Amino acid sequence: MRPQEDMEKFVRVRKARATTSRQMDKRTLNDSFAAMDQIIQAKQTKYKRSARRVIIRNRIMRPIAAAAVIVVVISLFIVHRGPDEQADTVIVFNSTKSPAELLTVASLNIAFRRGGIEAVERQCEQVIDKLGPPPAMITVKELLAEFNGT
Amino acid sequence: MVEDRILVWRFNRGSKDALRRIYEKYKDALMGLAVTMLRDRSIAEDIVHDVFVSFAGTAGTFHLSGTLKGYLLTCAGNRVRDSNRLRSERDVGLNSVDAISPSSDGPVDDAISREESSQLQDLLARLPYEQREVIVLHLHHGMRFWEIAEALDVSINTLQSRYRYGLDKLRSIVSGGVTK
Repeated sequence: MRPQEDMEKFVRVRKARATTSRQMDKRTLNDSFAAMDQIIQAKQTKYKRSARRVIIRNRIMRPIAAAAVIVVVISLFIVHRGPDEQADTVIVFNSTKSPAELLTVASLNIAFRRGGIEAVERQCEQVIDKLGPPPAMITVKELLAEFNGT
Repeated sequence: MVEDRILVWRFNRGSKDALRRIYEKYKDALMGLAVTMLRDRSIAEDIVHDVFVSFAGTAGTFHLSGTLKGYLLTCAGNRVRDSNRLRSERDVGLNSVDAISPSSDGPVDDAISREESSQLQDLLARLPYEQREVIVLHLHHGMRFWEIAEALDVSINTLQSRYRYGLDKLRSIVSGGVTK
């Protein structure tokens, strides 16, 4: 064996076996966990702060944020006010029309577009109400005469 | 190696269990290095403590380029060097009697092992710090020359020269001690 290898072996076999005490383990782990918590919290705070800073200080982000706020406000306004206005309009629309006018294609189309199939149903029910109760007995001749106005 | 990568990945996501496992895995290696280099158990404990607290502070941003053991040993080595600079000569070896932990091989083997380790520490203490450092990192902790060179930011040739000169000097001390 070469002298260098002898020395390497000499040093290797005399490696110190040093272990840590329980107290030290506890102290080190506690301090390490505390340091870890601190750094994670700091990062979270920094992230929040930086997001706010980007919006406030950035020339491009500022108008975008303002526009987003306006869009949200308008959307909320439409969502809250829209259906009530729609319902009112339908009622006004329906109450001023005669049964014949309520059953035109245009009228039913408008009702469907504004309130869906429920609005069409409501409109048809109103027409039936306006026509009043059906007579107990009526012939086809009488019906045709009524429609023809003779 | 793969286990270390997984531990580091979990550690970066804030897992305390991963940090605990890293500590359990490498604390003895770090302690061994610090004790061998400084021959003072209390300073060695402080160094291991500081290394892990500092490592915990890198959670979320830690990037492992080499081996985790190499990284931690390098951190400990740097702190040992700083501590060695600050320490006055009279403190050297003050706690060396208690520095080495007993082994589990029985009282006789334990006594022999402690004596041999203590003998080596005495010999290593007579080498320049740079030579001692590379010998301990290479022979006791299995770090490769390129790893140590990268960690210490010196060329591999310089490092190998330090290693060779260190071993030569150690041999001359040992043979001198035997002949005289």
